[in-house]
Amino acid sequence: MSYLTSVGRLGGMGAVVAVVTLAVCSGDLRAADEARTQRPVDFAREVLPILSNKCFVCHGPDSNEPGQLRLDTFELATSVRSGYQAINPKLPEQSELLARIHSTEEPMPPADAEKQLTSAERDVLTRWVMQGGDYAMHWAFVSPEKQSPTISDPSIRNEIDAFLLARMRERNVSFAVEADRRTLARRVALTLTGLPPEPEQLRAFLHDDAQDAYEKFVEQLLDSPRYGEHQARYWLDAVRYGDTHGLHLDNRRGIYPYRDWVVRAFNRNLPIDQFITWQLAGDLLNSPSLDELVATGYVRMNPSTGEGGAIPDEFQMKNNFDRVETLGTVFLGMSLTCARCHTHKYDPIPQTEYYRLLAFFNSTAEPPLDGNKYDYGPTVSVPSDQAGWDRWNQLQKEREQLIKLAYDRLENGDALPQETLSKWLGSSGEQRLSMLADPKSPVARFKLTEQAADLQKRIVEAQASFTTSLMAKDMATPRETRLLRRGEYDLPVGDPLEPGILEVMGGFPEGAPRNRLGLAQWLTSREHPLVARVLINRVWQRVFGDGLVRTPEDFGLQGRQPSHPELLDWLAVELQDSRWDIKHMIRLMVTSRAFRQSSAWRSDVSDPENLLLARGPGYRLDAEVLRDVALWASGLLDPTMGGEGVKPYQPVGMWKALAHPASNTKEYIADKGQLLYRRSLYVYWKRTSPHPMMTLFDAPDRESSCVRRSRTNTSLQSLGLLNETQRIEMSRKLAERLLLGADSDEIRLKLLFELLASRHPTDSESAACLSLLEAMRQRFGQSKSDALALLSQGEASRNEQLDPVELAAWTQVAVTVLASDVAILLY
Amino acid sequence: MQNANSLREHELMMTRRQLFGRTALGVGTAALGQLMTSESQAARSGVLPAPHHAARAKRVIYLFMSGGPSHLDLWDYKPGLQEKFNQQLPDEVRSGQRVTGMTANQKNGLPICPSKYRFTKHDNHHNGLWVSELLPHMASVAKDICVTYSTFTEAINHDPAITYIQTGSQIPGRPSLGAWLSYGLGSMNENLPHYVVMHARTNHAEQSLFNRLWGPGFLPSDHQGMLMRSQGDPVLYLSNPAGVTSQDRRAQLDALASLNQEQFKRFADPEIVARIRQHEMAYRMQTSVPELMDLSAETEETFQLYGDDARTPGTFAACCLNARRLAERGVRNIQIFHRGWDAHGGLPHEHGSQCKDIDQGSAALIKDLKQRGMLDETLVVWGGEFGRTVYCQGNLTKENYGRDHHPRCFTTWMAGGGIKPGITYGQTDAYGYNIADEHGNPLTPQPSKEKWTPGTMHIHDLNATILHLLGIDHKRLTYRYQGRDFRLTDVHGHVIHDVIS
Repeated sequence: MSYLTSVGRLGGMGAVVAVVTLAVCSGDLRAADEARTQRPVDFAREVLPILSNKCFVCHGPDSNEPGQLRLDTFELATSVRSGYQAINPKLPEQSELLARIHSTEEPMPPADAEKQLTSAERDVLTRWVMQGGDYAMHWAFVSPEKQSPTISDPSIRNEIDAFLLARMRERNVSFAVEADRRTLARRVALTLTGLPPEPEQLRAFLHDDAQDAYEKFVEQLLDSPRYGEHQARYWLDAVRYGDTHGLHLDNRRGIYPYRDWVVRAFNRNLPIDQFITWQLAGDLLNSPSLDELVATGYVRMNPSTGEGGAIPDEFQMKNNFDRVETLGTVFLGMSLTCARCHTHKYDPIPQTEYYRLLAFFNSTAEPPLDGNKYDYGPTVSVPSDQAGWDRWNQLQKEREQLIKLAYDRLENGDALPQETLSKWLGSSGEQRLSMLADPKSPVARFKLTEQAADLQKRIVEAQASFTTSLMAKDMATPRETRLLRRGEYDLPVGDPLEPGILEVMGGFPEGAPRNRLGLAQWLTSREHPLVARVLINRVWQRVFGDGLVRTPEDFGLQGRQPSHPELLDWLAVELQDSRWDIKHMIRLMVTSRAFRQSSAWRSDVSDPENLLLARGPGYRLDAEVLRDVALWASGLLDPTMGGEGVKPYQPVGMWKALAHPASNTKEYIADKGQLLYRRSLYVYWKRTSPHPMMTLFDAPDRESSCVRRSRTNTSLQSLGLLNETQRIEMSRKLAERLLLGADSDEIRLKLLFELLASRHPTDSESAACLSLLEAMRQRFGQSKSDALALLSQGEASRNEQLDPVELAAWTQVAVTVLASDVAILLY
Repeated sequence: MQNANSLREHELMMTRRQLFGRTALGVGTAALGQLMTSESQAARSGVLPAPHHAARAKRVIYLFMSGGPSHLDLWDYKPGLQEKFNQQLPDEVRSGQRVTGMTANQKNGLPICPSKYRFTKHDNHHNGLWVSELLPHMASVAKDICVTYSTFTEAINHDPAITYIQTGSQIPGRPSLGAWLSYGLGSMNENLPHYVVMHARTNHAEQSLFNRLWGPGFLPSDHQGMLMRSQGDPVLYLSNPAGVTSQDRRAQLDALASLNQEQFKRFADPEIVARIRQHEMAYRMQTSVPELMDLSAETEETFQLYGDDARTPGTFAACCLNARRLAERGVRNIQIFHRGWDAHGGLPHEHGSQCKDIDQGSAALIKDLKQRGMLDETLVVWGGEFGRTVYCQGNLTKENYGRDHHPRCFTTWMAGGGIKPGITYGQTDAYGYNIADEHGNPLTPQPSKEKWTPGTMHIHDLNATILHLLGIDHKRLTYRYQGRDFRLTDVHGHVIHDVIS
């Protein structure tokens, strides 16, 4: 029998052979008999979730009671205890685990346990033990590997399709028909840029007969600055970006340059490994750029308090808990919260490792309490909006050109005294510019003095309009970090801990510094099992509506299994292979056959959750998109990028009803003019009371990380869509656009639908709209004062040339279509 | 791998989705109508198929006193303190309790500050109830309420403490009590929101409130509380824009329904049908909410009961009257937040005004519910996030003083819905500083959330008890998020059967 052990450890087919032998040896154990006919149990995907959910609460990694059986490793589960083994790999049928899960007298879980085994689960455990009780690592802790898809089919456009189709074939299903081009154009434009396609752009695409017309259309969208704005939004949810401190007074916080940096990073397709590194440790890079410093705002994003009487030591720890746990959700796809107080119950994360991870953040230089200050802790001075950044970059370029000019002249024989030359060579760009501008300096012979002085002046002028942004900086002497008993800040125990990582996710990179930079290197290392999977799953989620792992916040033992594990792994490795190129990954996704399918529900496929992906994506658009689409269609949208948060209309008193009298965000004063019409990404985010049109449509409060918004469907949303001031204003301007853009009702309707649905209305849609239009014409014809009242909503001026009755009637049509599923859904 | 609740939620969704999934394309309008009816039943029920046990209360009205009312000046009578005026609080009384940054280093130390208010004992059918002269109306319902002197928390600052008592965690991110109830129990009224929050007017709006206190946390966001406002629209965006009549809106909704039905024909997504229903419910709310807010049908006797304040929208009394009207209409979950209890200095001035705000309305609510036969099925809860210190903050005189935050004991009361009327629960020591045994000796060790000590009520115990009275086992109403089955009471909480009839 000695070979059984090794066979058991090997698992796979060997285990089946072993069970067959064993079943013969030990008589007719029914389970063994069944095991013979069953395929090998997959420990990671089938068994571990059961153990985790039903057994680990008492027999898991955190069971420290002496003598308590643990089932989280093979060694512990097979250890010989007084006269028995929970799992006996040599004689599986003698395993105590089997006896107990089938026992009626001494059942496990105990009869009064909250979570009982189902018979299917009992069956899985039985087969597993009979097959040798082999253990394997939870899938998400094993580095992903790329396997090539095995099938080919004419419908396959890229690897994504091959993996999906393979799964569909198991259910005798294939892809849905392709969506029509108009629908597809709208879908991909909304997915990539958060806006529908421009009418001319749409027309050009529809008339392009080239094979790669769609691919070219996708490229246009990827190149649009709107792309970065839209993609940034999801990241801002995850890192809980807000314009206020969040706690107590919830005062203003100066960190919006970080938001604008995220937009730029997506637009310039900054590789994700650098995207991560700059955010965690930009300040620790060699002579960091302004961008790299701004990016460290990530480290400073935790809500903070300046409450009188708050105890600094307590908040030092609370801030750190928040950072560690956000890191867990954002990059590792798991909650580390449990390990704050005790070793994790389900996932192999010891409490010590939690505090080692915390130690990376415990030495940042900002005080634990924010003093209710806008520029709390270390800050960096930077341009205040995109135009400012453009100017700044231009000035930098000019400076480089000027210096190059000096070099040219140097090489052309304008020799410098040795002393000046070495000073020149050892100087930064800024210092060189000063030298050039100095008429007394020997470099004045290059005759660039005036140009340099002028440039210097313009640089100083540009800097005068800089703003500050919170950044990370380490203290000269690190704070000591100790494990805290039960997570209580005043109960430190043991020796100081060195910063460190979670061992189950691979070792700390060799030679990496023990600071945030080393932490970033660990996260972006090729071997890290989670980061690439977690990030690509969220990219998938924003392209297809749901992740391959439907619990993007939990890749741990208790999370949902990926619907297509091989595809997830392929994508994760492809992301790394492509040098962390997000545009490449998104391009793969949106050009796949899967993305191009019709999103109509299929009568031939029963798959309400669309786990097979045998239909295209379909969902209600996010709060921001709903507003942006209407702003865009109305022609009001102001494309200006970046800058301090903007304040569109909001019902009176909403902030005041909550705010502390000393808070500097107690009065909501709506902006005027163009600021009212900026993209919703830029709407001011007060964490204790975000804009109601945002929260009404499921935007999170940004006090804690959110990697998946809910998509609810409520009556209050209906009221918002039909009554909110800006929606009426936008509808009025849209109506003006229709009235000015065409002469007949039919053509106006076509234009309206082309804008919002990228197609023309059907007969019944036309009929519904025209009947509403007619009713409204009559109504407002009888009451011009009502028409004028409706048209007076919002600040934008009314086109006085247009008949108010006609304009009001069309406004009502526009409000209605803008609120309809034609406009508010992605399909 | 799902636990019972999330499984149930999944099933609800599945039933709905499968129903639609099978019907799929080409459904006629008649069938659409049927679908909408079944949808309505599925969408409004809570995640619990049935209560865990027989509910004692159908609904809860929670009067939350934000800032931390002084138990020493309102409820917890300590006559022995008069002779200790201005003496330092003995170290052994403080016994390790941390002190906030506001009084930790004050020049006059921690001088004992007796209440300046007269207390009288009122018959409550048991041992009598001491009530401060600040609460004359509440004294008249002594027989109906159960006063707990031994509520406690760990948090010592407002933001964490109020977040803790309302969400079970000091750090933002968890669902509020009301969101949990909405998630568990669903709604009893189709035309009104299931969870309504009101902010009552105060002269001392010294503390902030946060959306998270009625927020959904990680629950689906339709479980968040709906603010019923006294300024502008009572429900956000309730009114049609100027110039648009109800008939106009009807015409719009008809067109909207046609458009959405067309969309449904093309895509067969059941959410589309659900949305048609929500538009119709919104239309009905435009009638039901103004009707709710219209107090003209209330009798003169009612206004006498609640006081003249109740005629002014936004006052605490008006909120209480609204709460009763909401309760009558099947709203399960009503919370009134009253700010301004954070009396670090000038406590007599501030608390005087605060008590005037809330005294008559709170008492009237109890009497009103009682006379309408609703008190038995309505749980009323009153309390703040912590108490106030026996020592003075700032200058101490007999007539004027301030008090700092005190987490170690504070007073709350409950009434109706399964609560034993006319009793008191727990007691504090002679200083009103520590929870004590029946002889007035501080409990040793200090009570802790880790293990319930008879006679004490940690805020998790309070929440467990509220859920229990509504038919929910606080340990079994869970939601899986990030792999963990979260609940309102974290891993703590003990139902206090001593206060349950």
